[in-house]
Amino acid sequence: MKLTRRNFLAWAGLSAIGAVACDVIQDDELSVQSPRSLPEDLVKGRDNWYATLGRNATDGEGVIVRVMEGRAKKIQGNPKYPVNMGKQSPRSEAGLQALYHPDRIEGPMLRTGPRGSGQYRSIQWEPEALDILKRELAARGNGMVLITEPLRGHLGMIAERFATSVGGRHLCFDSMDDTTYRAAVNGVFGESCLPDFDLANANYVISFGADFLSTWGSSTRLATAYGEFRQGSERQAGGSRGYLVHVDPRFSMTAANADEWLPITPGMEGYLALSLAYVIISEGYQAEGVDVNALTGGQGAAALAAFAPENIASQLGIPEQLHEEKTAAEKIRDLANNFAHHGPSIALGGGSAGAHTNGQFNLMAIYALNYLVGSVGSNGGLRFNPGAPLDSLPATASVGSMADWSKVASEIRGGNTRLVMVHEANPVHGLPASLGFENTLNRDDLFIVSFSSFMDETTVMADLILPDRVFLEDWGDDIPDPGPGYPAMGIQQPVVNPLSDLDPRSFGDLLLSVAQEMGQEEALPWASVEAALKQTTETLFAYGRGTSRDAGSAGELWNLMLQQGGWWDESATGPTPSAPAGLLNTIAAQGGQPSFAGSGDFYLQPFLHNSLLDGRNAHIPWMQGLPDPVTTVAWQTWVELNSHTAEAMGLREGDIVSVTTGSGSIRGVLYPNPALPPRVVAVPLGQGRRSGSDYATGGDARESSNALDLLSAAHLTENGGLAWAGHMAQVAPTGESLKIAKFEGIFPARQIGHTPGEAVILVTDH
Amino acid sequence: MQEGRVLSTREMNRDLLRSILDTPRWFWPVVTVLGLVLLIAAIAIGIMVNRGLGVTGLNRPVAWGFFITNFVFWIGISHAGVMLSAILRLAKAEWRRPATRAAEVLTLFSLMTAMIMPIVHTGRPWRILYWVFPYDFARGIWPNIRTPLVWDPSAILTYLTSSTLFVIIALIPDFAVLRDHTTGIAHRVYSVLAMGWEGNARQWKLQIVAGVLLSALILPVFVSVHSIVSWDFGMAASVKSWHSTVFAPYFVVGAVHSGVSAVAFALILLRWCYGWQDYIRHEHIDALGRLLIVVATGWFYFLVMEILFGMYGREPDELMVRQTQFTYWPYNAWFIVFVITTYFIPVILWLSRAWRRNLWIMSIACISVNIGMWLERFLIIVPGLINKQLFTFVWADYRPSIFEIIIVAATFALVTMLMLLFSRVFPLVPLYDVKEGDVLKTQVQIGRRTVPATFRED
Amino acid sequence: MVTSRIDHKWGMVVDLDRCNGCQACVVACQVENNLPINDKNAFLQNRAYEWIRIERYWEGDYPNIKARFIPILCQHCENAPCEPVCPVFATYRNDEGLNVQLYNRCVGTRYCINNCPYQVRFFNYWHPNWPERLQNQLNPDVTVRTRGITEKCTFCIQRLRRGQLQVERRNGGELGDSTLRAGNHMPACVQACPTNALTFGDQNDAQSPIKPYFDDVNRYNIHHESERQTRGYRMLEDMNTKPNVIYLKKVDPNKGSSGGHHG
Ligand SMILES: Nc1nc2c(c(=O)[nH]1)N[C@H]1C(S)=C(S)[C@@H](COP(=O)(O)OP(=O)(O)OC[C@H]3O[C@@H](n4cnc5c(=O)[nH]c(N)nc54)[C@H](O)[C@@H]3O)O[C@H]1N2
Ligand code: SF4
Ligand code: SF4
Ligand code: SF4
Ligand code: SF4
Ligand code: SF4
Repeated sequence: MKLTRRNFLAWAGLSAIGAVACDVIQDDELSVQSPRSLPEDLVKGRDNWYATLGRNATDGEGVIVRVMEGRAKKIQGNPKYPVNMGKQSPRSEAGLQALYHPDRIEGPMLRTGPRGSGQYRSIQWEPEALDILKRELAARGNGMVLITEPLRGHLGMIAERFATSVGGRHLCFDSMDDTTYRAAVNGVFGESCLPDFDLANANYVISFGADFLSTWGSSTRLATAYGEFRQGSERQAGGSRGYLVHVDPRFSMTAANADEWLPITPGMEGYLALSLAYVIISEGYQAEGVDVNALTGGQGAAALAAFAPENIASQLGIPEQLHEEKTAAEKIRDLANNFAHHGPSIALGGGSAGAHTNGQFNLMAIYALNYLVGSVGSNGGLRFNPGAPLDSLPATASVGSMADWSKVASEIRGGNTRLVMVHEANPVHGLPASLGFENTLNRDDLFIVSFSSFMDETTVMADLILPDRVFLEDWGDDIPDPGPGYPAMGIQQPVVNPLSDLDPRSFGDLLLSVAQEMGQEEALPWASVEAALKQTTETLFAYGRGTSRDAGSAGELWNLMLQQGGWWDESATGPTPSAPAGLLNTIAAQGGQPSFAGSGDFYLQPFLHNSLLDGRNAHIPWMQGLPDPVTTVAWQTWVELNSHTAEAMGLREGDIVSVTTGSGSIRGVLYPNPALPPRVVAVPLGQGRRSGSDYATGGDARESSNALDLLSAAHLTENGGLAWAGHMAQVAPTGESLKIAKFEGIFPARQIGHTPGEAVILVTDH
Repeated sequence: MQEGRVLSTREMNRDLLRSILDTPRWFWPVVTVLGLVLLIAAIAIGIMVNRGLGVTGLNRPVAWGFFITNFVFWIGISHAGVMLSAILRLAKAEWRRPATRAAEVLTLFSLMTAMIMPIVHTGRPWRILYWVFPYDFARGIWPNIRTPLVWDPSAILTYLTSSTLFVIIALIPDFAVLRDHTTGIAHRVYSVLAMGWEGNARQWKLQIVAGVLLSALILPVFVSVHSIVSWDFGMAASVKSWHSTVFAPYFVVGAVHSGVSAVAFALILLRWCYGWQDYIRHEHIDALGRLLIVVATGWFYFLVMEILFGMYGREPDELMVRQTQFTYWPYNAWFIVFVITTYFIPVILWLSRAWRRNLWIMSIACISVNIGMWLERFLIIVPGLINKQLFTFVWADYRPSIFEIIIVAATFALVTMLMLLFSRVFPLVPLYDVKEGDVLKTQVQIGRRTVPATFRED
Repeated sequence: MVTSRIDHKWGMVVDLDRCNGCQACVVACQVENNLPINDKNAFLQNRAYEWIRIERYWEGDYPNIKARFIPILCQHCENAPCEPVCPVFATYRNDEGLNVQLYNRCVGTRYCINNCPYQVRFFNYWHPNWPERLQNQLNPDVTVRTRGITEKCTFCIQRLRRGQLQVERRNGGELGDSTLRAGNHMPACVQACPTNALTFGDQNDAQSPIKPYFDDVNRYNIHHESERQTRGYRMLEDMNTKPNVIYLKKVDPNKGSSGGHHG
């Protein structure tokens, strides 16, 4: 077509009309469209949130559980629960996978093969399983031992009374027992409950060996307080920021977060603490009103003269490169000065500091520091918990020490104990192999009952397995220890029913019904745990304080307790202890250096795994798949050595190394850690499970081993606790290597250029 | 004078149609072997689609690997056809004649092969329609025209269409010859394809004009295709070593480099397979070699600039990528191999006239270029992703899995197989073009050299 | 259905000085959002899924060494590099400031993964696999992603939606920050974080605790960083991706000295 003027005008007209027409068409019909809604917009169904207790954490966490159509969907912190105040530990969610775990024991089972073979046949609860249980209790009850997880409150009471009533005893099991810590708290403060630390209001904290930002103590509560300690809203306004010093032979998570980390020779924590005390007293740094004479039996600084920094600094192993321009003694003096003058201050200790032959001395020396700076019972200091709301309820769990377990073992071997009952405890895995507990259980004249929901190393030894409900299906309660500083009792309620293919029975209810059939109504009169809880509610209502004030009747109180997750009385406070006379000189007089089991070039530092703990969460895929925060390793047992040390030994990441002590040897995958002291080898607990779910037992002995196998059951603290931090070990290459299963990429990550996570220099003036 | 014998039309027909009219003994065994390789790859793809891309070695952060490398490689190869046919046709370079058909067909087949790569590389290849064709207007599902991944198929399909036309136009006179040499079904098929070609003056004129027009039109497409492919990388603002404005020309020149080398090698191979010594002659290969020196040096300039600019800017992110390429095993080894094989081996070989005319040496040089150019794409794509940002915490490595290796290897089998099959049905050396050159062969003295006169249509 | 909704612009503030690296946020997110289980191979093959991850960076050498923990999740960039490269609009910006991912449309080109500078996009290399009984725990509000597609943090959009519906049902009102804080509608990671290192809120809500940080960082852009009143900054700020996540710098009183005490 030729372009004539006519044509041109026609086309121009047409395009003008087109343009107008397009303009009239809806805007969004022309524009590139993108959907505005996601499938997630379509939220259907109704959900309910129930308050109950979480049992997978080290501390008693109150949780709320989202339930939809009879299925639990999410566990999260209960905002009303005084311990964790709506927050949760990474372990908390494990309960959900325990509930719906493919490897749950489906119903009662009786052993058919040889002990330990894992061959069982299913039986019925009624009458077979219960008859066997009653028969064995009647025949062997005398001298029996009931081993449970640390139990407090009603379940603790029921277990205790049950064991006594059949002529046996109840002992709680925790592989890293707190015997020594409790003894120290008792010795320094005269209290049986553990203290709560008011980090939120503290300005200066020295922590000795207590990895409280990972697994130690009431870690969720302490983490929340830690957040406030760093950047609480008042602090931000005032410009003051809490300062954390962590003293630890191992680069733990708490060390990683500390403003200052002081690597120390293992076991010398008490020396350092007394040295600080010496400086404080000799320089007169103590808080106003502190009676130094009373604390030192009238001797003043002289009582601690042996611990003067100049005398002991060289023994502490504080690296010279740390703050190079000062000598070790000057560093100690600075630390004492800051600790005393930037209060409120807290000295806290535990974990590895207490797990030495001189562990009790260490911890007592550490906690005694709090008296010198006036932080016992004060704001920003240590607060003590009152006991249980009701006298009849145990507020602390009677956790067995290593000495207790040796005794249990010898009683079994001696034939005095012929019945062992275990509930949610795995001593075969959790006690040092050198105790030979597995062998001990492997006796024909022994009858073993397990109430576990999962197969594990102890349950596989059992003659009779009576699976319990998991905590989301069952009633229970807890008295938090350490508590929030006021009396509290958490209620655990069933939020879902067991799935139809499962046939578990409540452990508490079972104990009650069996006891009653055996004629023990007097000690254990309740029809069920729920009934016991309801009865307690009536008593609590009668008290008329705390939560009871918000309810018009006992029934209302019950409902309220179920709604908010328990009962508490915020207005009540715990005791404020005063120092026993001559505390410091008594401690100083005890002062002994730690002794080490075995020999080798390295100090062995085992530690609780951040998500698996000692292995009790090892069957939970989420927990296995959660990288360790520092090394980022998952699913494997790793061995940490200082990077330079490893290099000098010709070792590289992923090499399989053996770690050997006088008591045993394990293998693990090497993780060169640039932050570990050169003479330390650190190995997490948690792996090395041999029986149970595939998630727990996956991986061969090169990458999954139990660090407890390295410990000597005879190496004890002053009060019979296991001195697990006091072993020497040898590390040797095996020539093999594996790819390490870690989340971090191929390089030890360091920030380059403009950094993803910048730090700012802030000069604070406390 | 042009090297080689003077051949009669009959001889030419006999020689050049040999591949079609009789089957060499090696033909079916080779095709069977190639078929087997393809079958294995098809199974591998089946498994991969069925089970997921987990069977590859891809990971976080290396989300693109062998497949995309191979995609860029084959797109690169595809540039040779147009480079030779169009540019040389427009420039009236006489020596192009026997090379054009093979080059064009290689373009087609490598383009098709290249297109397979991004498809199998996606997580849900069956949904690719969403992306390539905006088929679902009613629901307002449009492709996102901001992404190079939408420009890619547009450019490639345009290129594919135009090169197909280009090939067909050039084939018409040859179809007619085939029509006249066959009987039965083949005759009927060739008759249809020949579209009534009689070889009269009007038809010749139309055919020649169409060829020239298409040559001119296809050139911008050819430049744009590889530019756009380079933008898959250049537009990725977050991958520091990809986000570079120089990528378009750099990739285009690189494509020509690898493509022309591939064509040269293909010609040597065909000459050997079908005994076309009289048509694909040393002088042709020599000419390609000379051309390649220029292309290679141009490409090398871009390579040096690219590295120099990155280093000169001293951006930590980019420096880390260079560090990976230069110092981390095995990338450092691959890097050395890449530089030597892409530039130093071939260019040194091409510098000598005698070596340019030695077919063995030429083969080695051309294969060397293509090994190097494959590595070049790999070294751009993978190290750039390994440490694309400062989050050193996530830096990981990449090793291709056996699935990726099989599928990539099979693409070479696929192109070879398609070329072979094509040669069975259509002449791979354009009969009419060669004849035309022969007819117009006169000798012209330029300086000290005797060169063929160029063909002028009028 | 959604009538009187105010314009939200969600945002998060991450206080690096509070975060202790505990990983509670990581599991909480995995549980809430039906993330596939990270088995050992996921780590061996570098394919582990963590919509929020804790990166650990070493700083210095023994004994003056620090480990810095940095939670990294999708930054919900205003100017998201992942969006323009997606051929099918599977990832786009919604009108509440979220970078959302439409799993159903994604064809799995992984271009967005390459173009996300924060590396927070995850490709489903395998079909996700839960033992049958474990499937009871899956969150019905969240799509389970199939193999071959890309997924990432959504700011827990399902919780925002549920919150919105509840508030609308109750009073036809808006979903203000107070409702979010009081209820369960904050993202799972924020809810879990024991140190309160993560704060979620609405930048359009004058009462929101995140607001001052956003105002500050917006007021003083990267060229005037030193004038900022807070510790706030945006990650890779020079890329101008304009994240809706702001980080507050870690405070290190000893930075610059050889590790000793500041006092
Ligand atoms: N009219 C006008 N003139 C101006 C200015 C103006 O504003 N207006 N501004 C002036 C200023 S401020 C400047 S800085 C100069 C800029 O002038 P030039 O420095 O010339 O900048 P460009 O042309 O943008 O880029 C130079 C070349 O680098 C190539 N290149 C880009 N990225 C890479 C890479 O990664 N590797 C390699 N090898 N090459 C790459 C580009 O393709 C381009 O060919 O212009 C100046 N001139
Ligand atoms: S130069 Fe900067 S502004 Fe321009 S397109 Fe690239 S990223 Fe965007
Ligand atoms: S952080 Fe990455 S995925 Fe998230 S919006 Fe920004 S570019 Fe996209
Ligand atoms: S992987 Fe999915 S979301 Fe990402 S760019 Fe490709 S299609 Fe889009
Ligand atoms: S906002 Fe939700 S989806 Fe995003 S990281 Fe947090 S929990 Fe995961
Ligand atoms: S939960 Fe909080 S403190 Fe723990 S790692 Fe995540 S952001 Fe940090």
